[in-house]
Amino acid sequence: MTRHRSVVSRLLRGESVRLRTGLLLVVGGGAVYGAAMGSFGDRLPQVAFSAVKVPLLLGATTLLALPSFFVLNALVGLRDDFAAAVRAVVGTQAAVGVILAALAPYTLLWYRTTGDYHEATLFNGLMFLTASLSAQWVLRRRYAPLIARNRRHRAMLWAWVAAYSFVGIQMGWLLRPFVGDPARPVVFLRTDSWGNAYEIVADMLAKEWAALAE
Amino acid sequence: MSALRQLDLILRGEPLRDRSAVAFALGPLVVLNVLLAATYGACVGAFAVLGRDEPEWRQVLASAVKVPLLFAVTLAVTLPSLYVFAALLGSRFRLIDLLRVVAAGTSVIVALLASFGPIVAFFAVSSTSYPFILLLNVTVFAVAGGFGASYLYRAALHAVPPPEPPVDTDPDDRPRGRRVNDGIGKLFLVWVTVFGLVGAQTGWILRPFVGSPDLPFTWFRPKQGSFFEGVGKSLESVLGTRGRSR
Repeated sequence: MTRHRSVVSRLLRGESVRLRTGLLLVVGGGAVYGAAMGSFGDRLPQVAFSAVKVPLLLGATTLLALPSFFVLNALVGLRDDFAAAVRAVVGTQAAVGVILAALAPYTLLWYRTTGDYHEATLFNGLMFLTASLSAQWVLRRRYAPLIARNRRHRAMLWAWVAAYSFVGIQMGWLLRPFVGDPARPVVFLRTDSWGNAYEIVADMLAKEWAALAE
Repeated sequence: MSALRQLDLILRGEPLRDRSAVAFALGPLVVLNVLLAATYGACVGAFAVLGRDEPEWRQVLASAVKVPLLFAVTLAVTLPSLYVFAALLGSRFRLIDLLRVVAAGTSVIVALLASFGPIVAFFAVSSTSYPFILLLNVTVFAVAGGFGASYLYRAALHAVPPPEPPVDTDPDDRPRGRRVNDGIGKLFLVWVTVFGLVGAQTGWILRPFVGSPDLPFTWFRPKQGSFFEGVGKSLESVLGTRGRSR
């Protein structure tokens, strides 16, 4: 237990942890939060589905964004530092997992205080935002020595954040439902309502704008 | 040296540091370029599998063939003029040197395209918005083209052999050498711009790469409009100022 605490502590301080340990923390932390997230409406299958889907969201997004990150790093002359950059990225994902797990009790408490599905969705959005922004601190600490060595790492850091966010938003949309609307049956994926998250947001904004203009 | 190792060296910028590194076997690199371009084409074409009511696998094949074809046609159109104008400006570029530099620049573009392939394929299979995939494709091409253009420009400056000194002047006539290299640099800048424009229009001629869900599969569309007109229409559609195709 002491050893695990020290790993988490080292990770959150921005120190290096083994790749396998980092991956285990992504899966473990993500599953803990996913289970809490899916417990809205007390439906056991949704708990299990969300416990699988949160680590899947973090892992698949990273995997999709990594190839372009590799080629861009090589092109700007940072190929030799790529292993360190990947360790920083995986460390950050592990931090997201750990922070999410630490926020799970808040979500459970929130579920006990409200039965409104939209409020539950919003609250989970806030928890994800908190975890993602907090983990940026780990990413910046892990990247600090790389940036000190070569300033181009700063640009690559932003490229990573942009690519990861771009893919992650669509991945989150694709892997819905995470909370699970109690009025609808439990499903692993809402394949009948796949679409483009960005277009839906643009649509919503256009409608809001039209309503304001009237 | 394997083509993958060569590609790794190109991405690391080795040929920019060491002129001898440009002297690689052209054949394997060209084959690898074709495979990388085809991979990206297949990723773009994947939209036709889940983006329409009936999966259209032929679009995957068509796009996998057409992306390498796009590069082949664009190079066939633009290379001869590059060689001729480089010679006019006094460069001692041999054709094989030029081909190697251009192949290396193309490698940068297709490697970037292939590396963005998983993201494009992910959006292609999970999204039903045709204009969005079109714009994503154009954006990825623009990013890859930008990096490729920058690489080509720098590679050209490094790979240019020193010019022959004029017969009636000192062999160490450095000012003239600088003028020739400056001229080659400017020529490459013009050429990469022309390469981009020709590539964009060739892409328009070879369309569809994505395949509109509202139209039946076709290998090529009839002549109509231009690349920039098409991008404008997609932008209008995504921004909601025009009726969506789907």
